[in-house]
Amino acid sequence: MKRYPTILAIVSTAAGAGVLSMFPPWWSVAIAAAATTFLFRLSPGRAFLSGFCGVGLLWLVIALIKDIGNEHILSTHMAQLFSLPNYAAFIAVTVLIGGIVGGMSAWSASLLTSRNKQ
Amino acid sequence: MSDHMDNGIQSNNKKGIVMPSAWAFVVSGFTFALIYVLNTSFGSLPAIGKVVDPTNGCWQNAEAINKKLNNSYVFPALNNETKVWFDERMVPHIHATNEHDLYFMQGYIHAYFRLWQMDMQTRAAAGRVSEVVGETALDFDRKQRRKGMGFAAENSLRAMEANVTTKQMLDAYTAGVNQFIEELHYKDYPLEYKLMSFRPEPWTNLKVALLLKYMADDLTGQTDDIAHSYLKAILPEGDFELLYPDKIVGSTPVIPPGTKFDTPSLPYPTAPSDSLAFPAYKTSDFGMERERGKGSNNWALSGNRTASGAAILCNDPHLALNLPSLWYEVQLQAPGLNVYGASLPGAPGVVIGFNDSMSWGITNNYRDVKDYYEIKPVDGSGNKYWLSGKQLAFKKRIEQIGIKGQHDFTDTVLYTIHGPVTYDLDYNEQRGLRRMLAVSWTGHRASNEQLAIYLLNKSKNYNDFTNAIQYFECPAQNMIYADRKGNIALWGQGQFINKWKNQGRFVMNGSDSATLWQELIPMSENPHAVNPDQGYLASANQCVTDSTYPYWYNGDYTEFRAWRINEVLSKTNNATIADMFALQNDNFSVLARNVLPIMLSYCTQISNPRLDTLRKWDYVLAANSTAATIFQLWWRNLYSDIWKDEFSRVPDYIIPTQERTMQLVMTDTALKYYDYRRTKKKEHLRDIVLMSYRETMDSLDVQEKGIGMQWYHAKNTSVTHLTKIPAFSFTNLRTGGWGNTVNAMKPHHGPSWRMVVQMGKKIEAYGIYPGGQSGNPGSKYYDNHIAQWEAGKYYSLLFMPNTDKQNDKIKFTWNASKE
Repeated sequence: MKRYPTILAIVSTAAGAGVLSMFPPWWSVAIAAAATTFLFRLSPGRAFLSGFCGVGLLWLVIALIKDIGNEHILSTHMAQLFSLPNYAAFIAVTVLIGGIVGGMSAWSASLLTSRNKQ
Repeated sequence: MSDHMDNGIQSNNKKGIVMPSAWAFVVSGFTFALIYVLNTSFGSLPAIGKVVDPTNGCWQNAEAINKKLNNSYVFPALNNETKVWFDERMVPHIHATNEHDLYFMQGYIHAYFRLWQMDMQTRAAAGRVSEVVGETALDFDRKQRRKGMGFAAENSLRAMEANVTTKQMLDAYTAGVNQFIEELHYKDYPLEYKLMSFRPEPWTNLKVALLLKYMADDLTGQTDDIAHSYLKAILPEGDFELLYPDKIVGSTPVIPPGTKFDTPSLPYPTAPSDSLAFPAYKTSDFGMERERGKGSNNWALSGNRTASGAAILCNDPHLALNLPSLWYEVQLQAPGLNVYGASLPGAPGVVIGFNDSMSWGITNNYRDVKDYYEIKPVDGSGNKYWLSGKQLAFKKRIEQIGIKGQHDFTDTVLYTIHGPVTYDLDYNEQRGLRRMLAVSWTGHRASNEQLAIYLLNKSKNYNDFTNAIQYFECPAQNMIYADRKGNIALWGQGQFINKWKNQGRFVMNGSDSATLWQELIPMSENPHAVNPDQGYLASANQCVTDSTYPYWYNGDYTEFRAWRINEVLSKTNNATIADMFALQNDNFSVLARNVLPIMLSYCTQISNPRLDTLRKWDYVLAANSTAATIFQLWWRNLYSDIWKDEFSRVPDYIIPTQERTMQLVMTDTALKYYDYRRTKKKEHLRDIVLMSYRETMDSLDVQEKGIGMQWYHAKNTSVTHLTKIPAFSFTNLRTGGWGNTVNAMKPHHGPSWRMVVQMGKKIEAYGIYPGGQSGNPGSKYYDNHIAQWEAGKYYSLLFMPNTDKQNDKIKFTWNASKE
C-alpha cells in the first residue's frame, strides 16, 4: 500500500476540519481527523500525529488571526477567567484541546479500521 | 508509538471480516468520553470544547479592533429607509422617517450590542435565573415571584397594550429585537451565552414590562416596615420618634420651603388606633441583616444663575455599577422627535436626556410606596384568610420555576386583597420574621410608564412635560426639567396613596379593613416647584417637602448630598458647565465638617500624627487622601459604637441614620445611648469618641501595612460584570467620594450616568457612564469609558439636527431598508 507523506495527512485533516467546522457542532473536526485516517490508511501513530497537528494547527491559525486583530482583549479576559497566566496560555489551551480531540479521533479511527498484519 | 499500539489484542472472525481490537474500543471509547465531557456544561463550568472552538466558540467574540461597522440591511418589517450613524464612541444616531421604524431599529441595536444583558435582567425580574444557572438562584427566583413581579409586569403590559401608541411602540421594538435574534447562529451568540451554555429566546412585549418592573423594584423595593415594627416594640416611649423621625428636622427638601402647595382635594384620613392597625412583635420574632446603596442627584439652574444666561440641567443617577452598563446612549430621530440620552437596553425610548426643546432628569423619590400586611389565615383551611370578620379566599398563582439540570420547582403564591403573600412559614422573611406577610406595592398597578417615556421624549414645553409624567406612577421619581426658554421645574412624581399618619410605617394588621390603602392622591397634587425665586432646584433623595405639604407620607431619605448641593448652588452665580462638572464630582463631606471637630475636641491630650493629618484636613474625600481613610473609619466605629450594644439584634441598616446620629452628636453630649451597657460607669460622648478612636488606630495599623492608607484603596469602588466574574470586572478604581458626598462613589454603587446639559440657543451637552456601548467583553467598546469616568471627565455629546445629512464626526453608517 502506498504510504502518503504525513504532512499530506495533516493538511488534509486541517482542510477537512476547516470545512466541517463551518457547521456546528464543534466536534465535527473529529470527523475530519477520522476520515483522513481512513482515506490515507494511516497507522495509529501517524494517525494521532496527523489528527493532533491537523486540528491543532487549524485552531492555532484561526485563534491567532482572531487574537491579533483583537489585540488580545478577549484572550486576556478568557485567560483570567480560567486562571491562566496570560493570553498566550489561553491560545495554547485552545490548540491543545483541538489537537487532543483531533489526535484521539484519528488514533481511534486507525485502530478501529486496522487489519491484522500477518 | 505505532508498534506499541498495534500490540493490542486483536481478533478476526472466521469469515475474514476484520474486527477491531479491544484496545481500539478502549481508545475510541475514551475519545467519545472526552468529546462528551468537552461538549457538556457541568454546574457553572462551561462546555470547554464548545467554548474554545475558534470557528464557533469564544474566539468569534474577539471583535477586531479596526472592525468597520458599515453595513446595509434588508428588514422587511421596515416601512421606509432608515439610517443609523455611529459616532466614534459607537453611539448610534438613528434617523427614521416614522416612529415604527425608529423603535424597530432601536430594538435591533439594543439587541445587537446588549442582548445577553437584556435577557438576564428580564430573567432576573421574572424569577427565571435558575433556568440558566441552576439551583443557586432558586431562592432569588422564589422571592421575585412572591413579590409579584410577574403579576406586576402582566398588569402593566395590559395597560401598555391597551394604549395604541405604546402598543405600536412595543410591537416595533420587540420585532426589532427578534429580527436580530433570528439572524443569530451559535457563533454569533454573545460570549456569556457560550460561557453559561444557554441560548437566546424570542423577545416579547412582556419582557419590556418586566424590565420596567425590574427598575421599579430596584428603586422602590426596599422598605423598613418590618424593622420599624420591631423597633417600635423594643424602644421606650418617645425614643422611636427621637431616633427615627419620619422627616428629619433641618432637611433642605426637594421642593424648596415656602413653595405653596395646592389645596388638597382629598380629606386627611383618620388613623385607626395603633392596637388595631399594627401587630406587635417581639425580639424573638427576628434575626439577620441586609445592605443599602442607591441614591442620585439632579439639579437645574435658571438662566439668572448661569454665565451663559441659559438654563442648565444636571443629573447623575447612582445605581449599581455594572458591566454591561445599565445604560446605553442613543439619539433617536423621527418626524417630530429628536432626542438624545441614556436608554435602558430592553425598553424603547430615552429615559434620561434632552431633545431640541427641553431636558429632563430623574432621581429616586423614596416616598414609601410598598407596605406589608400581616395576614391571618383561617385555621386549617389553607385557602382562606380573615378580613374584618369575613373569610376571603386566597387567589392562587402557580409559579413554575425551571432549574438547570433538575426538575422544576413549583411554588404557589397566595394573593390577598392587599397583594401577594411574599413571606410565610414556607418562605421566611429575611429577618426571620415567621409570619404570613402580604405586600401592597404601587408597582403592582397597571401603570404605563412607557407612555410617560414616549411623551417625555417628544415634549416641547413645560405643559407637555407635566402631561407626560402623569403616566409615571412607579418607581416614584423626582423629575427635573429645564427648557431653552429658561424655565426650570421639579416634581416629586409618582402615584401615591392618601395615607393616614403612620400608615405603612410599620407592618399593618391585614385582617382589618381599616388598614387598607385608600384613595389615590391625584397626581396633579404631587409636590412640585416651577421657576422658584431662588433660581435653582435640586434633589438628592432627601425629604421631598417641608411640613406644609398637606398629605402625610414617609420615606427612606438621605440628606448629606442635598445639604451640600443646596449650599453650593445657593452661592453659585454665573455658573458654567465646568462648575457643574465640579459639583457632580464634589467630594466635600458635610458629615466630616460637622462631626470631626467634635471628635477631635476630645483628643486634644493625645499626640498622634494621624490626628495632625485630620486637623489639617479640608473635609474632602479625595481619592488619594489619607485623612479621608482615617476619618471614615473612625466615624464608622463611632457610629457603630453608639448604637451597637442597644441595637445588637437590629439589622445594621436600620440603626438610626447617619444624619440623625450626626445631629445627636452635635446637640447632645449625654444621650443615654452613648452609655455602654456592659460597664457600670455611665459613659458620655467623650468616652465613646475615645473608645472608637482607639479601635480605629488599631485597625489603621493593619490597614497601613496591608492595602495602604489612600482612600480609594480603603473603599474599593468597582465596576462589576453582571455575572460577578472578576475577569470581566474592574476593581479598586481611583475615585474619591462616598455616600455622604455629592460624588457618591461607593463600592458597588455610584454615578451610573453623569449628564450636564446647557439649554442655550445651541444645546451643549456632556455625559458619561462607566462602561462602553458594547456589552461584549471581547470588544474595545466594552469598557472604553471607564478610565475617563474614573478621572471625572465627560464626553461632549454629539446632538445632531433632525435632517438626513450626516455629521463629519460619524464613523460608520448602517442603511436599512424594506427591500
